[in-house]
Amino acid sequence: MSIGEGDLAEVSGAGMRAERAVAQRYLRRVPWEMVAWGLGNCLLWLSLWPLVFGGILPLWLGFLLATLSAILGYLPSHEAQHSIIGAEGTRWRWLNELVGHASLLPLAFPYRLAWITHRQHHAHTNHPDLDPDISNRGETWLRSAYRALRARQPGEGHCYARTIRESQHPKRDQALVESFVMQVLHFGVLTSAAWSGYAIEACLLWWLPKHLGLVYIQLFLSWAPHYPMVETGRYRDTRVWTCPFGTIASMGMEYHLVHHLYPKIPLFDTPKAFRAMEGLLLAEGIRDERSQQP
Amino acid sequence: MKYAESLEMLVRMGPILFGVGFLAPLIAQSVDALGWQAPFGLPSIAFGLVVGTMLGLLARYRGSWV
Repeated sequence: MSIGEGDLAEVSGAGMRAERAVAQRYLRRVPWEMVAWGLGNCLLWLSLWPLVFGGILPLWLGFLLATLSAILGYLPSHEAQHSIIGAEGTRWRWLNELVGHASLLPLAFPYRLAWITHRQHHAHTNHPDLDPDISNRGETWLRSAYRALRARQPGEGHCYARTIRESQHPKRDQALVESFVMQVLHFGVLTSAAWSGYAIEACLLWWLPKHLGLVYIQLFLSWAPHYPMVETGRYRDTRVWTCPFGTIASMGMEYHLVHHLYPKIPLFDTPKAFRAMEGLLLAEGIRDERSQQP
Repeated sequence: MKYAESLEMLVRMGPILFGVGFLAPLIAQSVDALGWQAPFGLPSIAFGLVVGTMLGLLARYRGSWV
């Protein structure tokens, strides 16, 4: 599994040692900006409910903000999934777990499930049978979005369900409990609101934004940086690319390669880390596709 | 394992529960909001329940909403 410190132990040779020395400069920082992003985004999303229900905020604006909130909800949890905010047994572990759970609320996605399946993604990136994100594979972004949508259908046996079923992870049962609670909470809130006369509001504040957010996340955080999701190997499973909408719209995924090489480098530091180790990475034969468009 | 089984049952029954619990009132309230009239003089919630349940059963049978 190529996660964090394990990665550092794997590297060998002069080039890799130099790469590791650069990476070390960006490790072990608590990314407070991600804590603020994750908790702030969750509070913003929660505040939409009373604002819309109370008639203070128009529903169309609430829908747009809820969709933005769902899109922004994943990455702070992603930092927590890698224990970047607080490792096990450290002072900020509780905050790590809080950000992990809370930031995924707009997506109605269970944190522990994301945590286990994401580690499998790192361990088996682009593997046709073992990468739980392989359902996002597609020749075009439209094809990928459709395949991801199909994979979420109830009878499809989603890769995440298979991964968690076959997982030997010690927190697997906890992940299942949390997934069950999240499903019941999501469905319970939707139906309660709907039968109280707020079905359209519930649809536009949670159900639809969740699905739009998942499409965006699957395209920009999974499909684009790993496109065409065929090659495997430390320097080949993830590419360096140029997002036509800019680095911010891609949420920093142009430098997702750095994350796969050193998962404990905070998101905001991956562009700096890439620039610092660019020469070393090019010498290793990375997929530099900055001049191409997806 | 009881949570795994409960989760699987929830997923299996999900389309029907979703159709009755959420789609039905959503369809009814959308019909009202648009100022439409449900066919056959049905109250909008009855129309929502018929359509929502049918869609849920169809999704359950096909294993897919799309």
